[in-house]
Amino acid sequence: MGLEMAETDWASLIVQIFWLLFFILLFTGANQKIQMKLWSMDIRNKLRIIYKYFNDDEDKVKNLLKNLGVASPELLFKRVLDFFTIQPVDIEPTDIIKRLDHLLRTSDKSFRRLVASYLPGIDRYERSLIETSLSIVAALYMVYKIIRHYLLLGEKENNWILLMQLELVMPQIMRIVETYHKALDAFTTGKPIGDGVGPLVAYRLIELGEVVSRRIVEETSITELRLDNRRYIIIKAEGPGSNVGHPGAVLASVIEDLKGGVDLVVTIDAALKLEGEENGEIAEGVGAAIGDPGPEKIAIERATTKYGIPLRAVIVKMGLAEAIQGMRKEIYEAGERTVEYIRRLVKELTPINSTVVIAGIGNTMGIPG
Amino acid sequence: MISSQDAITWIAVISAIILSIYFMMESMRKPKEPEYETMEILECPKCGYTVTKEFEPGDFIGMIKGKCPKCGTPLIIKAIYEVEKKNEKNLKTPNNL
Ligand SMILES: [Zn+2]
Repeated sequence: MGLEMAETDWASLIVQIFWLLFFILLFTGANQKIQMKLWSMDIRNKLRIIYKYFNDDEDKVKNLLKNLGVASPELLFKRVLDFFTIQPVDIEPTDIIKRLDHLLRTSDKSFRRLVASYLPGIDRYERSLIETSLSIVAALYMVYKIIRHYLLLGEKENNWILLMQLELVMPQIMRIVETYHKALDAFTTGKPIGDGVGPLVAYRLIELGEVVSRRIVEETSITELRLDNRRYIIIKAEGPGSNVGHPGAVLASVIEDLKGGVDLVVTIDAALKLEGEENGEIAEGVGAAIGDPGPEKIAIERATTKYGIPLRAVIVKMGLAEAIQGMRKEIYEAGERTVEYIRRLVKELTPINSTVVIAGIGNTMGIPG
Repeated sequence: MISSQDAITWIAVISAIILSIYFMMESMRKPKEPEYETMEILECPKCGYTVTKEFEPGDFIGMIKGKCPKCGTPLIIKAIYEVEKKNEKNLKTPNNL
């Protein structure tokens, strides 16, 4: 009997203590402190993973540079990792596109010159791969720095809302970081990525047609050819290095050169799919399918608007991982289907002997032409 | 005898512990991501012979690589893409069956 009494006491005592603790925590706000501690611990762990990714990738690129004969890649990394471009003033939007274009081009050129100064005598193909690999490492470092900043700030100021927000966006950030980390492999080996589907379609069209002429302007190739009784002008970034070229500016200058004598402009690009959509789905629409910060896209819109040329777009849908990592088979096959799609679209929309400009937008790594 | 109210208390305490452990494990479990390998298709422009090989760094579409074993014409890389790695564990019969 005595033993059974003790057991009853223990059970209710535990429950009593539990409730008492619960209310003390609730009224003193200490439960929030515990919650905050848990969040910051979790963020810290994830931050450690991000740093590990950054570190691994940095070592990988450093080794690559050492193999190419760079004695001390640390100096190059120091300059590259903190390289920045300041956004132009936007409260006064007059000529903002010109200013943005200027800043982007200068940034591009300076970055290239910086890399080239450490790698004299390296060929362009190899250099383009190094440049993109370096910018991936720099992007990872940037994410690491920003997350660390908000974590330390939240802890310092006991800002639990900041930590909560950070904790809630961490899964999304981790997914993006992992995607970038995995993308490095494609850029160090030079294999086509999903974003290259636009240039791939352009290259296939060049293969199919009877090439009349070919020239390179601003790292962008312009190929004129005959196909399906029409004059095709194909614009794509010059391959097979890691390069996106300047398809917008070049397309605009091609239209200007022909004094607007173009019957149709089609842009082809990879587009981010919505959750639930299939990889490799093809869709068509109207407008300039290009994901640059602005200057290239507006050049296409302005040139086609000036001469009233129909501007059509064909997109291949894919997730971020599929877009910046090695081209998956379903994306490749979608590219092959897009070639036929474009030919049918052109036949539908233009009479025989018209001039059609096709721009394959995206990074042409691993795809020549 | 243990009273029924007592039993209920114990059951509540134990199930609360089990539930919290279950949720903790659930949140830690990560879905396994598929692994990919990169393949390339080489094609003979003359006789149409094709062969699938593993991608090597530096290869690109349109590159000339090797010779056709049938007619000796240089082979051209027609395609490069990634395919999901076949999971070897699924193919083998588990030992503990
Ligand atoms: Zn052959």
